[in-house]
Amino acid sequence: MGEFKVHRVRFFDYMPSAIRAMAFNRQSERLAVARADGAVEIFNFSDNYFQEKVIPGQDSRAVEALCWVDQRLFSGGLNGEITEYDLENLKPRYTVAAYGGPIWTISSNNQGTMLALGCEDGTVKMFEVLAEKVQFQRNFDRQKGRIISLSWHPSGTLIAAGMMDMIRVFDAETGHATHRLLVERGVGASKSREVVVWSVAFLSDHTIISGDSAGKVQIWDGVTGTLLRTHLVTKWDVLALSVSQDQSSLVAGTSEGTVIQFQLISSTVGQQDKEWVRTRTFKNHSHDVRALAHTETAVVSGGMDTQLVVRPLLDKVEKNTQESSLRKIVFPHRSLVCCAKKAGLLLFQFPEHLELWRLGESEGHGKPGDSLTVKTKPEKLIQLKRKGEDHICCSALSPCGGWMAYSTVSSVRLYRLQYNNNNIGITKVSRLPKDLCSVHQLCFSSDSSKLFASSSHSSVIVVALNQQECTYLHTLKPKSSSRQPVHLLFASEDGKWLATANTDCEIHIYNLDKLKLHCTVPVYSSYPTAIAIHPLTSNLVVVHADQQIFEYSLEKKEYTEWSRKLQKLGLHSLWLERDTPVTHITFNSRNPAHIILHDMFMFCIIDQSLPLPEAKTLLYNQMTLRSVPEPERIRHSHAFKICKNFQVWSSH
Amino acid sequence: MAKAKRGNATSSSKMADNSDKQAEKFSLMLDSSDDEAPEEVTFEDSKTQALRSMKQALDTARREKELLKEKRRKRQELFQEQKKRKLLPADVLEEIDPTSSKKPRQSEDEAEEEQQKGDGEKELRKKKKKTRGKLAHSRILKGNYTVATLEERSMASFQQQAAEDFIQSRLYGPGSCRTTSNELLSLQNKKGWNKSAAVQFVKKDWACKEKAKAEKLKKRWIHKQHISSC
Repeated sequence: MGEFKVHRVRFFDYMPSAIRAMAFNRQSERLAVARADGAVEIFNFSDNYFQEKVIPGQDSRAVEALCWVDQRLFSGGLNGEITEYDLENLKPRYTVAAYGGPIWTISSNNQGTMLALGCEDGTVKMFEVLAEKVQFQRNFDRQKGRIISLSWHPSGTLIAAGMMDMIRVFDAETGHATHRLLVERGVGASKSREVVVWSVAFLSDHTIISGDSAGKVQIWDGVTGTLLRTHLVTKWDVLALSVSQDQSSLVAGTSEGTVIQFQLISSTVGQQDKEWVRTRTFKNHSHDVRALAHTETAVVSGGMDTQLVVRPLLDKVEKNTQESSLRKIVFPHRSLVCCAKKAGLLLFQFPEHLELWRLGESEGHGKPGDSLTVKTKPEKLIQLKRKGEDHICCSALSPCGGWMAYSTVSSVRLYRLQYNNNNIGITKVSRLPKDLCSVHQLCFSSDSSKLFASSSHSSVIVVALNQQECTYLHTLKPKSSSRQPVHLLFASEDGKWLATANTDCEIHIYNLDKLKLHCTVPVYSSYPTAIAIHPLTSNLVVVHADQQIFEYSLEKKEYTEWSRKLQKLGLHSLWLERDTPVTHITFNSRNPAHIILHDMFMFCIIDQSLPLPEAKTLLYNQMTLRSVPEPERIRHSHAFKICKNFQVWSSH
Repeated sequence: MAKAKRGNATSSSKMADNSDKQAEKFSLMLDSSDDEAPEEVTFEDSKTQALRSMKQALDTARREKELLKEKRRKRQELFQEQKKRKLLPADVLEEIDPTSSKKPRQSEDEAEEEQQKGDGEKELRKKKKKTRGKLAHSRILKGNYTVATLEERSMASFQQQAAEDFIQSRLYGPGSCRTTSNELLSLQNKKGWNKSAAVQFVKKDWACKEKAKAEKLKKRWIHKQHISSC
């Protein structure tokens, strides 16, 4: 076993953004999450809750509400615009101004034909959803206050709108307001402030449920316009409501961070009269819960503490299984740190700027587990602010440390870095090839002579880098007609191979000498989360979102012996139960049998020369091995050596 | 009106009145034996007199207003003339004109501002250079003038800001009963089993600039003392 020096980097102060809105698409089982900085993320719930796509944010786009119409995603924001997102090219497709002031809420009817917007000026605007765009149809009767929340009746004929101090029921055909339900203000000091109806839900039996800023969840009869029941759930605001598909369960999110479930059950067994009864309370957040989604088996909540929590409901799933465990998705499922091995530099990607740091140095040797003294402290060399309004989508640093690149949805920027003694100079490379416009992933070749950029239709653009400029070389296209974006790129160390993986689960290998497609790895149903090519054996190692590991030989174009052995034996159950995906794979130059990989919470070295762990053996056995005397260790050790001491963002 | 008239009459002709009174008294004293009946003034006469004085008052008010108006108009004209005199010559404006209709107005306004400040082209160039950083596109024409488009800071951003302020005030404003995480953690520290100090009891990064300056001054003072003692 080799010895490794670990640089503990504690200066990457990444701050995630608060979750502002979410929308669940039942057909494709995908959750769209909108964050406070305007970024939109798509999580695939059927594939281990993997964060499939990230559309970077924009300065002025303050998303307040998200809505799915079939497979199209729309958002309305405080800038008064409706945005449709292009999920294949990971950018906004177009924006339409609503001319009603800031948009507070957006909702589509069940048929998927109309979009209703609630605006600041008190109008409910109807937009028709057409094939290529949305078109304004009409306004409803203008009201005196702002429209904060909307809910369609499942039949599409009525809309309930939550405003200040009241709820209005509109007739969708005529646009006239039929009922006005007055919401009581809070007691005591809050009597003087208007109560805001933050969220409404309209059920098919004409029951309206509202959550307001006085902390009440109220049940109304939508036909007569009367209040049926009031539940005071909190002293603070009830910010979000979500109803399950079968309308028997409702969840309410509060400013306290609690999520309260109500269920439609009859108070005595056997009776027919059902009513909404408060059942469970979940306290999984430390700050306000601003967005909720009620899926068939779970409650998904997100809010100001930036974590996405999936809480399966125990009456819908089997207890004590992988399915029934609480999941907290905290960190992004992709790598935000790039390391230049030869130069000892780190590039940190933030949404609005990039930071380049030089690693510190230490001297001396020590036993495993010791901390060495730091001779030179790590220093920040460059902080580069992005130009324009768009946030940074991806970034890369060349292994020699001489080139730095980042891309946004609208442009790509390339910089040349020069080091003379203690100074560092940075010059922008102007006049990039025209094809480099909207790029999802960037990667430098290991000799820093080429830049690979993934573009639309899963193609990769190859650009050659000379002293001060770059020239377009070639576009690598896969044989399949996939339109999905490429989210992983890896250039082999000998400069011969380039591996790409896209969100259609396709992995393509290109031969860089001949600049054409070499082979396609057989498609596995789960998303690849990390890929790497071994420098000596030219084997491709892939880890998927469901934690499966494959090794594919590029020369022979088939799975390797070790990979087949692993698949036959199966991975250890504890390995498969890990809930964060592996984001990086690398290799040990001193021992070719090692594969080093990590996810957010653990760091693992797979030794291919050792036997694989059986299902019953202890997986995390590093601590026990240390306590066992030397000769015994060989007997007990297996291939997976896992260390959980550090939270790992990157490893090289 | 009648009262006022009477009042006016008394105030304006107090002296006359007094003299009148005195005269009257005198005449009374002289003609005390006359027992003249008071003069008969017909209703018509007094009515016409009242109307006349009213009209006079209205006339004076109108005249005053008109005078003020005239004065104001004259002043405005004078200012316009002064402005016109200080404007850029027409040919320069023509040059700037072909770019767009908005831009020359902007540059004109900026130019006017500059001129009014007193200095000439030099100030203009300086100001244009300063604002160039903020402006999106700029074109440099011959001479020392730059024309640039301003960013659209329209109603939308104002409304967006107002909406964001609304949310901020509802969730974090007064009456929201929130506390900081510092307070929460500090209370936990105080109430827990191992009571400890409040979180961030000593703010290490408080006034760091001042501390650095103080350090430097201290070093300098010590150095000075050292030199003076040697």
